[in-house]
Amino acid sequence: MIALSVVLGAVVLLMAVLVAGLLRSHADILKALHDLGAGVGDPTGEAHDHTAGPTTASGAPVPLTMGPTLAADRDSTSAPTLAGVTPGGDALAVAPASAGTLTLLAFLSTGCASCAGFWDAFRQPDRLGLSAGTRLVVVTKGPDREIPGEVADLAAPGLTVLMSSDAWTDYEVPGSPFFVLVDGIAGRRVGEGVANQFSQVAELVRRAEVDAAAFTLDTRTGRDVGLDGPARESANDRELLDAGIGPGDPSLYPTSLEDLYGPPDARMPAAPRPVRRAG
Amino acid sequence: MPTLFAHGIGAGLPTGFEGRIFKRQGSGIEVANAVAQFASFALPDEVGDFGGGAVNLMGNDDVFAVLFEYGPDSVGTRLFAHQGLPGPLSTSDFQPHVLRRGLTGQSGTQWFFTEAGRPFTFYAVLGSHARRSLLVPRVNQLLEGVSVEPAPLVAPAGVPWN
Repeated sequence: MIALSVVLGAVVLLMAVLVAGLLRSHADILKALHDLGAGVGDPTGEAHDHTAGPTTASGAPVPLTMGPTLAADRDSTSAPTLAGVTPGGDALAVAPASAGTLTLLAFLSTGCASCAGFWDAFRQPDRLGLSAGTRLVVVTKGPDREIPGEVADLAAPGLTVLMSSDAWTDYEVPGSPFFVLVDGIAGRRVGEGVANQFSQVAELVRRAEVDAAAFTLDTRTGRDVGLDGPARESANDRELLDAGIGPGDPSLYPTSLEDLYGPPDARMPAAPRPVRRAG
Repeated sequence: MPTLFAHGIGAGLPTGFEGRIFKRQGSGIEVANAVAQFASFALPDEVGDFGGGAVNLMGNDDVFAVLFEYGPDSVGTRLFAHQGLPGPLSTSDFQPHVLRRGLTGQSGTQWFFTEAGRPFTFYAVLGSHARRSLLVPRVNQLLEGVSVEPAPLVAPAGVPWN
């Protein structure tokens, strides 16, 4: 019975020491917050100017910030141009604020487990639920923080991937995965946050599109020009190769009109010119 | 100002411009050279070297430009005799008939030159010829930020290591 009382007393004493330590730690935290101008209550009882915030040794105020500071001309809705490299070593810059359309920036990493589902989802772009007018750009940290080969392995063919650590700073990305939706007409961010599944992101985009339509946001109207882009150039190359004209063929480098139109005898007869009647 | 650099080409992008500097996959009989594309609108993923697939998306206030490198065998030919990047360009340098693909209302300009020992053509399109007095300065602003480095020396085939 005596032994039990001794053990119980020791436990109570130990708990008292622990509680005292926690209270001391808590008081230190409160005091530190108070000194930063963010404290609740006044543990010392001294009068402080809470609006002044922390100051330098000379007394100049120092703004309280978390993470890298933003440029003076930016705020939380700014959408600066992202510039970096692709996993293949090409250079790429995306200016979502002036793109004239919605741009969804997906900040992903190669190492984060929760990003894996998004890398996989991007392999089936038709099932993402994004409208044709919304551009998807995946942004990883730059080659200083990510291995381009690993990014290339995860990226689906045709997926736009930009590697830039500066972009993560510019957009104040807290971690991955993180999504930012930019309205390219209004020139600002219209939504941002984290998600577990891409369907949640797609819903955010859909709502933004509805809002945009309500304010008569319209993207640039494309002109129907038929076969276009690399497909048009490939078709042209095929036509030339079928006609026996390959790279370096002399016919591609005419030096005279005869090279272009053949000998004069072979040309089409000139159409009669209209004669202006006198009078 | 956002800056791009790849394949020996650098560019400081004016506000609102997108860009990419890349090399296409060579086809075996064709050697891929550097291409730099710039646009004041969203560049589609798939764009032809001279803007096919992009120029038809341009609005009236948009600009598209490309710097296209030719093979080293073009160096010294008359077409590329001009030394240095073009510019500053004037409004009279842009004409609708210069367009590689004539889209109503647009106009373009094209220059052949050699810079840093590398043969290039610079081709630019204005979304609206009528607004060229506003758009040509944007092209000039873009040109001011473009730089080209000499091509890296490549040892000819068959040269022994030592």
